[in-house]
Amino acid sequence: MREQQARFEELVLPHLDAAYRLARLLLKRDEDAQDVVQDAYIKALKGFERFRGGDARAWILMIVRNTAFTWLKKHYADRDVIPFDEAVHQPSTEESLSESAYEERSRQLREALARLPVEFREILVLRDVEGWSYKELASALHLPLGTVMSRLNRARLHLREEIAKVQPKES
Amino acid sequence: MKCEEVHHFIDAYLDGELDSARRVELEEHLAECASGRSLLEERQAFRAFFVATVQEYKAPPQLEAKVLAAMRRVPAKEKFSFWRQPWIYATAVVVMSICLALKILFPDAEKEFSRQAVLRHSSSLSTSHFVDVASPNPVIVKPWLTARLDFAPPLVGSPATGYSLVGGRVDVIENRSVATVVYKHDQDVVSLFCWPPDKEHLSTSERSMDGYRVATWSNAQCNYVLVSKLSNSAMHDFMDSFRVRIQSGAYF
Repeated sequence: MREQQARFEELVLPHLDAAYRLARLLLKRDEDAQDVVQDAYIKALKGFERFRGGDARAWILMIVRNTAFTWLKKHYADRDVIPFDEAVHQPSTEESLSESAYEERSRQLREALARLPVEFREILVLRDVEGWSYKELASALHLPLGTVMSRLNRARLHLREEIAKVQPKES
Repeated sequence: MKCEEVHHFIDAYLDGELDSARRVELEEHLAECASGRSLLEERQAFRAFFVATVQEYKAPPQLEAKVLAAMRRVPAKEKFSFWRQPWIYATAVVVMSICLALKILFPDAEKEFSRQAVLRHSSSLSTSHFVDVASPNPVIVKPWLTARLDFAPPLVGSPATGYSLVGGRVDVIENRSVATVVYKHDQDVVSLFCWPPDKEHLSTSERSMDGYRVATWSNAQCNYVLVSKLSNSAMHDFMDSFRVRIQSGAYF
């Protein structure tokens, strides 16, 4: 049993950042994301026998995703009215009064993302950050292929529109 | 491919999901179209920026420790429990179905055996025909029984103080040929029926039937039914002593 736990830790712990990132994007708040990640890892541990090998990262991300949605259902009737918590975890350097142009654009992008419906955020992260194919997305999100493609199109369009509101120079 | 179409396919192209025909068309168009190329660069840059921005979200330093601690708190049996394997449930269902079927087919099996044993016992009393081979010597009774049955019943000469071997007979109970060993204790006659536990293992029971006390039990060797008019305590003494002798090998 010890080796099973050790094997689990070895296989699944390296994806903690990816897990946190997905949770953070879905739940918007750091504290909630941490809670969901903990719950997801415990669930994964309990269900580890059912893991038949393969992509451990995709496996844990799916568990995180499902845990996040369960959490959202439980805590918020209207999933999109969640306060957005801007703080990003980076080693804090000295306080700067003005952020760089890049930092400002990043902040604007994060804020624009937060304004998107949760399904759009989800599919953008899984597609562009995690690199999942349309087929993998369809299978994981239980969607027909056509819906995956149209949702991606709409998500990207929405994001561009949200950003254009604050950055009219960018298109 | 026209310029408007490029707008439509550019994201799928960057996703690597365009089929080869379309991909070639797009690339050929881009080779000739400056505005198409600038759109491609713009989209590529935005993607890179998007990914970099999202990747700034990193797990806070204490999260790993928290997750490890939470995982280690999960009790061992919840983690890799034998009982969570799916095949366990399939097997359990099969086993339960078989048990249920047996219960329905053979309800209170030992009751029926008890009843028939009582009939044999009481008929032997009424006809005063207790045994077919009469001898207090197990050395004589055993081979006689073994010759007539396809098993060798363990024969205890003096199962308890005050009991003497009368002899043996062959009976039929529930279509099985059984060895009946008869003992006497003062005025009481005791019939001990036994047969191999091939088809069933008699459960341990005690009941009264037609004024007789009848007990059933079994071990690896034999199913036993004991019938007599002894008192409860005398029955128990007999059974205890008998079992002790069987266990210690003090039999023929």
